[in-house]
Amino acid sequence: MATEALHHRETVSLADDWSGGRLPYHVGHKKLGMWLFIVSDAMTFSALLIGYSYVRASAQEWPTPYAFYPSIIFSTVMTLCLLASSFTMVMAVGASARQDKKRTRLWLLATIVGGLAFLILHGIEWMHVIEEGLRPFSLPHEWAERWPKAPPLFGASFFAITGLHMFHVLTGVLYLGYIALRVRRVRHEDVEISGLYWHFVDLVWMFVFPLVYLMSVDMTK
Amino acid sequence: MEKRETNEDVSRLIHGSMRPFDEKVLAASGGAAGARRERELSPRMRKLKTLLSGEVILNVICLLLAVGFLALAASNFSLAGNFLSIDSLFLTLVCLMMAGIFLVNPAWTAYEKGLFKRPASAAPVVEEGPIHFEGSLRLFLSILGWLLALTLIEVFLAYIHVPLHIMLTVLIGLSVIKAALIMAYFMHLRFERLSLVLTLVPILVVCICLMFIVFPDSFRSLNLRSTPAQSPAAIKESQQPSH
Repeated sequence: MATEALHHRETVSLADDWSGGRLPYHVGHKKLGMWLFIVSDAMTFSALLIGYSYVRASAQEWPTPYAFYPSIIFSTVMTLCLLASSFTMVMAVGASARQDKKRTRLWLLATIVGGLAFLILHGIEWMHVIEEGLRPFSLPHEWAERWPKAPPLFGASFFAITGLHMFHVLTGVLYLGYIALRVRRVRHEDVEISGLYWHFVDLVWMFVFPLVYLMSVDMTK
Repeated sequence: MEKRETNEDVSRLIHGSMRPFDEKVLAASGGAAGARRERELSPRMRKLKTLLSGEVILNVICLLLAVGFLALAASNFSLAGNFLSIDSLFLTLVCLMMAGIFLVNPAWTAYEKGLFKRPASAAPVVEEGPIHFEGSLRLFLSILGWLLALTLIEVFLAYIHVPLHIMLTVLIGLSVIKAALIMAYFMHLRFERLSLVLTLVPILVVCICLMFIVFPDSFRSLNLRSTPAQSPAAIKESQQPSH
């Protein structure tokens, strides 16, 4: 039956999907809902990133304060944490497909550890820039002297974009924790959907990291 | 033959992990599945009714008050200069006691509903049919390797101080490749139906492109910043987009 269905799936054309009598997307309603949420959330993040780019392009000068060491190395480690947790999430979904609930839980816990490591490292990073004197609508004195024409919006864009992303990671950690707790009672599809959300969080960071961190690397050091 | 196959496929979907969202599909799969769905729905409706009952509202209010008192106790702990004084201990204790009193009702309700029972005995493990999952460990490891490699290239670009506009182009390009890899393999979009891909991806791309409509304004406002008092050379310099 399974191989027959697979064969069947491959042979139908795109137009046949919409001629009635079958599910055009071939996914459950929850998964479709998560996909639609991801699309809308992707639009939110792209609006924020485009807004940041707009402000930066219309400014005569923009602070580029991050030294390669420690700031960039630090954020690279954060990126690696998130990538590793994305991989463990794939393994969790794979284990769930094999009905191996115990392994699913272990991989989910590994994913949560990766997410928590990211959150803690990011929190430390925030503390550093706040200690330097960065505020949402004002630059630290040293930065203002170094880049006198720069508008004071570096903090606003930095805190808004990375803050929203951190909020997403935090939500993802809670969501995965819930799934890991109830792993014996949830369906495979639920694990897969939580995986979709987690990968999306990772995907957003793949744009935030270069645009916010790598584009602000200090060229003089 | 074709018709029968389709029906079998659809009914497998209904009994398996997927739920139908099309009434036509439901009708095609026969009355048995319809009746089963009806029975599945009724406890959910009952759940909805209990959700709106006064008991739940009472519990929510109690929980809110308890949280409020706990917050008071916590703020007292952090605000009191000397915590180990009679006043502060008294206030904390009273707040914690009030929180405890308000927690009694929700806790009792939870106990009655069986929330504290062992989860294994509360509900049986969900049984499912065969699950479709494509991709091997080797594939996912190689995707992870690619993602790491592209990330390291990006970081290396920051290390060797490439001019910013070249760097921006390369970074965006690499990031789009990485996003595509994540969506295609980690999020399984490559193994989904083409219908789903065509519903999700183009609309996202179009919307993001639409957002760029306002972007030229940023260069215009940059040019507006240069005052007439400046020398022509300075104006020309400021017209270069400085990223």
